[in-house]
Amino acid sequence: MSSRLVKISLPIWLTSIFGVLMIIEFFFPMPAEITATNTTLRSFVLIVSAAALILGTVILTIAHVRRISTRKPEWYYSIIYLIAFATTAVLGLSSVRETNFLWIYNNMTSPIGAALYSLTAFYITSAAYRVFRARNWNAAVLLITGFIVLMMLIPVGAAIFPPVVPIGEWIRSFPSSAGFRGMIIGTSLGTVGLGVRIYTGRQKEHLGIREERKEVS
Amino acid sequence: MALIIAGRMLALVALLIIVAAILFYMQRAFSGKIPSLRRLSAVDVIAEILGRCVEMGKPAWYLFGSVDMTTPSILAPTVAAFQTLAYTARMAARLGAKFFVPVNQGLAYTMANDIVQEAYRAEGKPEAFDPLGTVMYLPSGADRMYIINHMWEEQVAGAFFLGSWYHEAVIYTENAARVGALMLGGTDTTHNIPFLVAICDYSVIGEELYALGAYVSQDPTQSSSLAGQDIGKYFAIILILIGAILATAGASIIWLFKM
Repeated sequence: MSSRLVKISLPIWLTSIFGVLMIIEFFFPMPAEITATNTTLRSFVLIVSAAALILGTVILTIAHVRRISTRKPEWYYSIIYLIAFATTAVLGLSSVRETNFLWIYNNMTSPIGAALYSLTAFYITSAAYRVFRARNWNAAVLLITGFIVLMMLIPVGAAIFPPVVPIGEWIRSFPSSAGFRGMIIGTSLGTVGLGVRIYTGRQKEHLGIREERKEVS
Repeated sequence: MALIIAGRMLALVALLIIVAAILFYMQRAFSGKIPSLRRLSAVDVIAEILGRCVEMGKPAWYLFGSVDMTTPSILAPTVAAFQTLAYTARMAARLGAKFFVPVNQGLAYTMANDIVQEAYRAEGKPEAFDPLGTVMYLPSGADRMYIINHMWEEQVAGAFFLGSWYHEAVIYTENAARVGALMLGGTDTTHNIPFLVAICDYSVIGEELYALGAYVSQDPTQSSSLAGQDIGKYFAIILILIGAILATAGASIIWLFKM
């Protein structure tokens, strides 16, 4: 088989055929065999994703080994990675339901994740400061509406100034919802456009495929 | 047995109209009739950010946010961000900017790696691509600390935040802002658009994320498809107006959505 067929045409044809098949299944009643085939195809995504995860992990491990061997700055952290990787891999491969493996997940991985997630609260505060500076007319509107909604959401807001609740709810229900819905309509159209470009084989950069084209004027 | 699943007729008609409009404009582009499109300012911003990084001798980072490609709502913006990545990586290779792409999902990692490697090859600089360092897989969770730490360590001069962004958007963009990076942010995740717009120096929002990828593709048929999407917008405006008039008049159109 030619290189172009394998690298370019085949992935695009497969994407188009299976993509259109999924769309047809969404709109039209299909025989059970086709629905079952589509379900199997969807499970392929998870399998491919898992295979890619192995590749990513192997490359990450190689990168850390190289970091240690070349004594890059803070190389000793890479040793911690290798120990943690080896420990969880051995325990996980022996049995995922093993108490030791679950202990690591419940008492180390999960709390670290939660702690990192909680960082968001602090960064949102400084981001809010950045947003709530009335540098121009638009920012001033954002500041005022943001302040009203904030006052509506905190209990003390209604106690200080009761009308803030209906005003805040009006802002959330009408101007804010209208803006969001407009955004969602635009995004949906963008997604349809993206799908058409991919299914017609015009967009293939996401596959790492490059074909020289003329410059856009 | 019904020909169409109940409640999906209107969606099918809308989809067919939009797809037909997009294909029409793409076909016109094939025959040389290219519609005039507003130039997205973000196209120039990409060069500006990379140029700044080259001048300062500091790296440019390209971050995707959530890239769980098994989730449909994340898949579309991630693929759109991949297309812009292809353009950005190529320009980074051309200008000689140090480029770094951290990815926190295996499937997205392999794709991003292929895209960036191909971009360096296309610019005749395959040796500048580090297979272990230019695109790096960072497991989800651990990626946050790595990214924050290295942003400060390397004093990133430019950063791109394109794709499907959730709470990490605030963490990363705030740190990038504090180290003085010039930023381009873009997402279709509605609840995080305000943060990206507020913190980043330049932003693309909602549909612009998809338009940017088509625009930088340098393919007239792709950019022409954007004109077809505009037909969809007109269609939506007409439907909104009709719906508003009917709702004001007290007419119920619920039956239409049950077809």
